[in-house]
Amino acid sequence: MNITDRLQENEKEKRHEQEIWSWGAGTDGQLATGRLQDEQSPQILCSLSGFAPFASLSCGGAHVIALTPGGRVFTWGRGTSGQLGHGERINSLQPNEVKALEGFVVTCVSAGWNHSGFVTDNGTVFTCGDGLFGQLGHGDYESKCSPVEVLYFSSMHVEQVACGTRHTLALLKGDVEHKVYGFGSGKRGQLGTSTGILKSTSVPQVTLYLTDVEIISICANGDHSAALSATGSLYTWGRGYRRGYRNTSHGCIPHGFDTALSFQQVALGWNHALLLTREGKLYMLGGDHHGVLSNPHKTLLTKDDDGSVMAWGWGEHGQLGLGDTVDRTCPQLVNLGSEVAGKHATCSVYCGSGFCFVLRNFDDHSRKYVSTSQ
Amino acid sequence: MSYDDVEIEDMEWNEELQAYTYPCPCGDLFQITKEDLKFGEEIARCPSCSLYITVIYNMEDFQDSRKKTEAAKPQPVAVA
Repeated sequence: MNITDRLQENEKEKRHEQEIWSWGAGTDGQLATGRLQDEQSPQILCSLSGFAPFASLSCGGAHVIALTPGGRVFTWGRGTSGQLGHGERINSLQPNEVKALEGFVVTCVSAGWNHSGFVTDNGTVFTCGDGLFGQLGHGDYESKCSPVEVLYFSSMHVEQVACGTRHTLALLKGDVEHKVYGFGSGKRGQLGTSTGILKSTSVPQVTLYLTDVEIISICANGDHSAALSATGSLYTWGRGYRRGYRNTSHGCIPHGFDTALSFQQVALGWNHALLLTREGKLYMLGGDHHGVLSNPHKTLLTKDDDGSVMAWGWGEHGQLGLGDTVDRTCPQLVNLGSEVAGKHATCSVYCGSGFCFVLRNFDDHSRKYVSTSQ
Repeated sequence: MSYDDVEIEDMEWNEELQAYTYPCPCGDLFQITKEDLKFGEEIARCPSCSLYITVIYNMEDFQDSRKKTEAAKPQPVAVA
């Protein structure tokens, strides 16, 4: 085999290691299809294979942050608030590396509505994008079009960052007294940093009532927040799951979920949450419109290991990937083309506002991810 | 059905669109103009999807100053 053959063989192998699919709302370039239009069926993104494989993605209001296994960061989609971190405020139809983070090994990324958060392996946090609500954590209400270090955490080791619509959470590493911090808009209690409504803060504040709990993951979307403990307990705060503003109780402080269930993963939409138990059962909270169910604790799916992707709920922009714009009340199988013979596929699903991405990996490791939006 | 109830102070003025805006879960923005508010409209719509929100505001805050002055003037009492 000559060098060219070997390269082609490698390229083929690489393609078969990971497929990247997108569908749904696409008018800001967030689908990376090179087109500014919605897609009702999953599109395979061969043009991204040059950047892949990706370790994970995070999908925001209309932008995507991709993290490579080596800790490099690529972004695309809506950039009008500087959320892509490219030093300018324009949309990008194709992935571009975030040059300001070159030289850092990034380990966690999160895309909010119009802002972005990045954590490096040495525990530094960077943010960029819309800062009008203090969600960048720099002590001001300015937007930034390149990632800027959040100096409040300069003497701390941050492990995770989670960006919601107008707020941001940070989780510290290790055995420290205060592990979770919030900044940005607190109008609906999504920061959990005060017992009353805190309109906004641009300086990170400690999230209350999580002091004696070993939190291992945080989640933010819309105007609410969630955290999971090492023992599988779930805490939620922020906007209530019922519709409306006036008749809804917003939980200003983290509320422990009173259940015997033990959770391994949580994903938040704008109005609902998906909870994956350690036994692999999926539960949903809230979501009383667009076909998502309203009964808390209703079992929807049991774990299957065949790497298939199921979608339900609101479908107006084709975000269910079922080839139309119809809402679905029951989970439906999303067609991602034919299986690769002899390979076991696992899919990671990442949902933004009205659009979805799937990373489909062909390997022997079986993990199941849940993601939700809207 | 209204997707959400949002106070006007939580909406952002968008110079380009000449409208108050609020994030829509479809990725676009709910929008309502000052003109709409002046006429008592309380529904902000998204141009990209069927969703809409209810805007909570005080209509008098958006009446133009001329009208406000007129309204403030004591009305002449009709006498026979």
